[in-house]
Amino acid sequence: MYRYDEFDQQLVNERVAQFSGQVARRIKGELSEDAFKPLRLMNGLYLQLHAYMLRVAIPYGTLSARQMRKLAHIARTYDKGYGHFTTRQNIQYNWPKLAEIPDILNELAEVEMHAIQTSGNCIRNITADQYAGVIEGEVEDPRITAEIMRQWSSFHPEFSYLPRKFKIAVTAHKNDRAAIRFHDIGLVAVKRDIGEKNYEIGYEVHVGGGLGRTPFIAKKIRDFVPKAQLLAYLEAIMRVYNMLGRRDNLFKARIKILVHEIGEDEMRRLVEAEFAHIDAAKILAVPKQELDRIGAYFAPPNYESLPAESDILDKARSTDKAFDHWVQTNIVDHKIKGYAIVNISLKPIGGVPGDANAEQMDAIADIASQYSLDEIRVTHEQNLVLPYVKKHDLKNVYDMLAAQNLATPNLGLISDSIACPGLDYCELANARSIPLAQEISQRFADLDRQYDIGELKVKISGCINACGHHHVGHIGILGVDKKGTEFYQLSLGGAGDETASIGQITGPAFTGDEIVDAVEKLVTSYIDLRQPGERFLDTYRRVGLTPFKEQLYAPD
Amino acid sequence: MAQHATKTARFQAVTANTVQQGEVVYFAENGAWQPRLDQAIIVEGNEAAQALLQKAQRPDAELYVVNMYLFEVVKTKNGFKPLSVRETIRAAGPTTRLDLGKQAQGE
Amino acid sequence: MPLIKDKQFVDDPFTQIDDQAALPDSPVIVSLARLQTEAQTLAARNQPLGVIIRADNIGKTKAGENVRDLTDYLPILSLVALEFPEFRNGRGFSAARILRDELHFTGEIRAVGEVAFDQWAFMMRCGINAFEVGAHVTLAQFSEALGELSKAYQPACDDKKPILWRR
Ligand code: SF4
Repeated sequence: MYRYDEFDQQLVNERVAQFSGQVARRIKGELSEDAFKPLRLMNGLYLQLHAYMLRVAIPYGTLSARQMRKLAHIARTYDKGYGHFTTRQNIQYNWPKLAEIPDILNELAEVEMHAIQTSGNCIRNITADQYAGVIEGEVEDPRITAEIMRQWSSFHPEFSYLPRKFKIAVTAHKNDRAAIRFHDIGLVAVKRDIGEKNYEIGYEVHVGGGLGRTPFIAKKIRDFVPKAQLLAYLEAIMRVYNMLGRRDNLFKARIKILVHEIGEDEMRRLVEAEFAHIDAAKILAVPKQELDRIGAYFAPPNYESLPAESDILDKARSTDKAFDHWVQTNIVDHKIKGYAIVNISLKPIGGVPGDANAEQMDAIADIASQYSLDEIRVTHEQNLVLPYVKKHDLKNVYDMLAAQNLATPNLGLISDSIACPGLDYCELANARSIPLAQEISQRFADLDRQYDIGELKVKISGCINACGHHHVGHIGILGVDKKGTEFYQLSLGGAGDETASIGQITGPAFTGDEIVDAVEKLVTSYIDLRQPGERFLDTYRRVGLTPFKEQLYAPD
Repeated sequence: MAQHATKTARFQAVTANTVQQGEVVYFAENGAWQPRLDQAIIVEGNEAAQALLQKAQRPDAELYVVNMYLFEVVKTKNGFKPLSVRETIRAAGPTTRLDLGKQAQGE
Repeated sequence: MPLIKDKQFVDDPFTQIDDQAALPDSPVIVSLARLQTEAQTLAARNQPLGVIIRADNIGKTKAGENVRDLTDYLPILSLVALEFPEFRNGRGFSAARILRDELHFTGEIRAVGEVAFDQWAFMMRCGINAFEVGAHVTLAQFSEALGELSKAYQPACDDKKPILWRR
């Protein structure tokens, strides 16, 4: 993975020093809250319901074991023993004290981490496919591009005061696990034939996707941007947005609204015109040496040559049913023979989606050191990944995970729901999200039942900001507020992958007491309606909203 | 921000978060900020509420607290309680972690 | 308001004048509208000329005035003032870069309005070389703000050599 060099480290250190000074001035009363607020927001520090919240960036979701240990240490020393992994592949601490923020940032800087640009109207942490580099069928490791974009977007002088926050995601695989069509800019690395069996790598560019109050699927504005021109093309998009994006209305300030208002064709025309100016200057083409230097950090590790199948694994599977379930559900094929990609579910039955305590984080770091070449990934579905586990080590890994309640075999199943912090923590929330996720997973705890239901993505947000991605849930749940009490709106048929779709609202909202029953009714309807081999989403797409709605609102 | 003070509210109190920790506090006697709602000054009627808020907004208040506002409380047989779920959670702590927040301090 | 130009406090020779006001015999800053309607008269004067680009929400795009409308007038302009109506509004950063990189304007680009301590360095990188500052601002503070981040990752309009290009 990428390692800081002296430049990266120096900039992070300088930023920590700068913010430490600002914190000290605020505490002494030399800085007013009005002046301090935008500064703390630029450093990932929010004020939530009960305390401050610090959001730490995990660039493209890749962590080393050492970094994970530091995250555990921070949870234990400065917070209340846990952290929350978010849908943006970041981690949030819910209880830091203002005076200790500089210490936390210094600790993070020791392991090449920071909280810069995790809030504010700037280019946020860049996200990527969690299986980058280890999944079969990739054009290249998308983290090379993500890292270049990370550097380019860090402290960008022109784009740090945009109309609104800006999110970029990248994948290099036809199966979209990074929800790139729901980002301000989504990139797909693709190959282009240049004759004589040679090819060139570039990017398909999608612009103006997003969730929130007005969800949109991004529009593809370019089929191919050559690699060397990517930054110039990105600056062109950003400049069009910075010049024309709306600043008169917070809810209309995202680039998706601009694209919607001026239209896809006009957007393309403006970006191309801007691109022509910027590209002509040639200053944004990253030199080949630097591309190679960054690429080298993501070069495949020295894989051992292993047999495709492992006797140890087969034997363990045949004798341990729980392990067998876990392998079936949480393991994904690795591109290298004899290796496996392990998904660690952070959704134990009845647990808080995405939360991990310090002991669990330490355990995961140890497992990664011992069995996964020191590396861990964070997924936007709030789980973790061990990308380099040998098949014959799977049972050991499983046992160690199980000892920490980290081996729930539910990846992609109904109990693997996404939930934002909601009204239990979040200042902006209308309703709680976490308790719903907990109740749903308890209601459907029975594994045979979950397997029978099959893939079903439940996504829950506590307000229209949609941090829980409810619009792209097969079943989406949105918390709304009616005179200080919580209500929940259901939507069906959303998908965040390459078949992108936005869920349709079923009808009147439900109370907190009714909502889990309502979800169960939807599941029952699906089981009645499905044809062999159909997932929930397939059935929904075939039959539409009506049959589900009839069941849902039928008088008991 | 879902805040629930309304002109029709009968009883109200003033709340804020501390600068140091972001902790929830309530405006109390002698200009102090206290961590528990039962220590807060509760006033009746909109006029009294506005007056209370004004009193809380001393020029130096920003040194100690931020995010100050009025919210509605209701009288119960166990004293005043917040009307909204939001303020109930602020007064107690996360409902999913009963070991954290004010509720954990056994009060 | 005090003015820092090219990292020094300087006296401001320019006066900003209303669209209706008579032209004094000294350097002036006019509105875009006045520049467009009176370009010939303004050019004929033997005094430096400046224009201010407003960030107000104008017309349907709500995106303020467009620096590209200055293209034809740049030869007669010594100064372009960019209005920053509030801390959050960073449109002027792009306007400055368009002026420098695309339109190759070499005169003074001045930031006016709500310009904060923490923005000077970025503005400088975007080609803004003059700043209206509050009465309390000292040169020491100004240089401190510029020096807080010693390096930059990406190229812009200054001579900082970007990290992505120099390793
Ligand atoms: S969706 Fe709303 S409630 Fe949930 S974390 Fe985001 S802002 Fe908070």
